[in-house]
Amino acid sequence: MLDFAPTEEQEEIRKLAQSIALDHLRPHARKAETERDSPNELRLTLAQTGLTTPFPEEYGGSGPLEAVTYSLIAEELAYGDPGLALNIVGSLMGPLTVWLAGSREQQERYLPPFGNSTSGYLQRGSLAFAERTGGYTLADIHLQARRTSDGYLLNGTKRDVVHGQHADLRVVLARLAEHESESAEGKLCAFVLSDAQEGLSIQAEEEKLGLQAAPSATYLFNQVQLPAEALLGEAGSSGVVRAATLYQILRAAIACGTARAAFEYCSAYARERIAFGRPIVSYQGIAFIIAEMAMKLDAARLLTWRAACSWDRGEADETLIYEAECAQRQAVKMAQAATTDAIQVMGGAGFMQDHPAEMWMRDAAAME
Amino acid sequence: MIDFTLSKAQQAARDYAHQVALEEMRPLSLECDRTEEIPESFFWNMQRRYWGGAAAQARAYGQDEGVRQENLLSVISQEEMAWGDAALATAIPGPGLAAPPILSQGTPEQQARFLSIYMDGQLHWGALALTEPGIGSDVAGMSTTAVLDGDEWVINGHKHYITNGARADLIVTFATIDKSLGREGIRPFVVPKGTPGLIVGRIEKKMGLRASQTAELIFDNCRIPKENLLAGRGERKAGFKAAMGTLDATRPMVGALAVGIARAAYEAACEWLREELPAGYPPHKRRAWEEELKELGQEIEMARFLVWRAAWMADRRIPNSKEASMSKAYAGALVMKATATAVRITAPGEESERKLLIQKWFRDAKVFDIFEGTAQIQRLVIARRLFPNIDIP
Ligand SMILES: Cc1cc2nc3c(=O)[nH]c(=O)nc-3n(C[C@H](O)[C@H](O)[C@H](O)COP(=O)(O)OP(=O)(O)OC[C@H]3O[C@@H](n4cnc5c(N)ncnc54)[C@H](O)[C@@H]3O)c2cc1C
Repeated sequence: MLDFAPTEEQEEIRKLAQSIALDHLRPHARKAETERDSPNELRLTLAQTGLTTPFPEEYGGSGPLEAVTYSLIAEELAYGDPGLALNIVGSLMGPLTVWLAGSREQQERYLPPFGNSTSGYLQRGSLAFAERTGGYTLADIHLQARRTSDGYLLNGTKRDVVHGQHADLRVVLARLAEHESESAEGKLCAFVLSDAQEGLSIQAEEEKLGLQAAPSATYLFNQVQLPAEALLGEAGSSGVVRAATLYQILRAAIACGTARAAFEYCSAYARERIAFGRPIVSYQGIAFIIAEMAMKLDAARLLTWRAACSWDRGEADETLIYEAECAQRQAVKMAQAATTDAIQVMGGAGFMQDHPAEMWMRDAAAME
Repeated sequence: MIDFTLSKAQQAARDYAHQVALEEMRPLSLECDRTEEIPESFFWNMQRRYWGGAAAQARAYGQDEGVRQENLLSVISQEEMAWGDAALATAIPGPGLAAPPILSQGTPEQQARFLSIYMDGQLHWGALALTEPGIGSDVAGMSTTAVLDGDEWVINGHKHYITNGARADLIVTFATIDKSLGREGIRPFVVPKGTPGLIVGRIEKKMGLRASQTAELIFDNCRIPKENLLAGRGERKAGFKAAMGTLDATRPMVGALAVGIARAAYEAACEWLREELPAGYPPHKRRAWEEELKELGQEIEMARFLVWRAAWMADRRIPNSKEASMSKAYAGALVMKATATAVRITAPGEESERKLLIQKWFRDAKVFDIFEGTAQIQRLVIARRLFPNIDIP
């Protein structure tokens, strides 16, 4: 039955995430942007709340993730700071993909370090999704894996891999070519990469436009040979689809949080700023921009929630693929418009680094 | 708990309305648009199928499910009806736009007296008259007056653009009882058809929504019983604010109609690309259109969710002015985009029924940016709710 209200429990978790966002993310945003990472204290704080270990208790986690709940959390974190939010979510996607797509044995091997109560917060995961030839849609995943006598051979690229350069757990999404034919798209699958891999070049992405607080890397695969056990679970399984679509949904939620930060910030500014003797928001030219921002933010958030709901209900792969792609596409587009308009509302001040609006506009642009 | 799946009642309402739209509306659509007339048989069929039969079933399910969902069920069906034909949807017998003010401001006695008219199985309509030649958006500036004379209110004034104005059995008419009070002086009155002094003027010729009747009404010393003033009850005091409050319920309905047309145009454009593409049509162009349609499909879903959310809030009695305006503003802009895109995509095609329908929907669409509050007025409502302490004129 149609319902648009979070549960009480979700509401509590959302509030917790919001207070962390306001107390620990927003104040550190500029520093994290220059330092290009999240401070250890922040990661410790988050780990203590259980927000960064949403996998089963048996591996030291705080309980399995629900997409709706985590979308609410991701939006709040991004409301604090989009770069730090992506830093956190990007790291999570490593263990989460193992949990969703891996075999029992693989889960037992890769998850416990993340759930360790004393050192788990220092662990960083990563999930390589986007490539040099596309963006965050499943259809754009082309990294090619071929079966060999004792494993798999990988060729292709990855980009924008959050924590790719220093991750403790590197997971990559690829296509397993079933036949020799070049044209047929293989089944979606996920591999774990180990540290030194011949033929794999990992380059940190230094000159990013935005989201600097989420350090990222490019991978180039040139005849990279992986052992058979590097494949997580089975190729083409729903688990891989669920991992990939979860990342899209959480990226959509991050985009919503970014837009909300910009919307609220420029609203407060427009209330206070006086021009021609009146608050600028009393002029329709400004008020309508903000009204439109609020409307489109709500629309994109609903689309994100819809995909998250389907994820939690365990809908068919095709449904998840379609809905998560819609959410990611529309939320990012909306966030780009909202952050750009926020600067317009603020005039010259919006362009200055004294205010976070210019950072958010760059962040949103970097979400492609 | 956040949930985007339809319940049994919601699915039943959607399926039923879709069937009705397919069987009763689409086949008449182009002809009614051309003649600007609707055959009597349509009204009877709708009376029979919509108020009886499976629609009643859906309402019954709705009660079974134990939560208020009349607004949700209504927007779900409205989208399907408009997918069939939005002009015909406005002409379905029933109290229509007269219902919300009667329900929200009428005493139980008034509700029974006025709404029972619609229960006798005959053909009856209702209308809502706010707009005047001199005022539209600025409703508070209306000049139609009501003066109490003994046991009767005497109404004088001029209304125009009134949907179903000439066929309505009851017209909820807004008039001022004291001009010096401004918006506080405005009250809703129920004026029955055939009251001496109620004169039907011209029926408008329009760009689209042609089968929908848009009438001018003149009130010349029109006398109605004192008991026909909807004076409000309990916390819902009568007057301008209360009148505007009914828009919170009707705006999502209008949004739903817009979504229905947008979806019809979107589906037709997709079908055209699949089935009617002229030989030699450049593949890169086809791919570009497909991309554009994909985007449009996603925007249609967002518009629908905004509509559903606003209706859901109304069912839960959560104040929803802002969300109702968002749903209407978003859907109003979207239906223009969807129909214009469909016109552009199918432009090279031969004349066909599909193309004629698309052209009709394009002509129908623009009004959704205008009635029940223009695009600008919706943005004003949203902005004023976002900034309650600031005067945004
Ligand atoms: C097909 C159809 C059916 C209708 N049915 C009904 C009905 O059943 N009952 C009824 O009462 N009315 C009905 N209407 C009338 C409709 O509600 C009005 O047309 C509408 O409210 C706009 O009023 P207006 O046409 O007088 O435009 P105006 O109010 O004159 O507006 C003209 C322009 O000025 C803009 N504007 C006005 N005020 C502001 C402001 N403060 N800030 C910024 N911009 C502003 C408007 O957005 C618009 O762009 C119908 C209209 C149509 C076309």
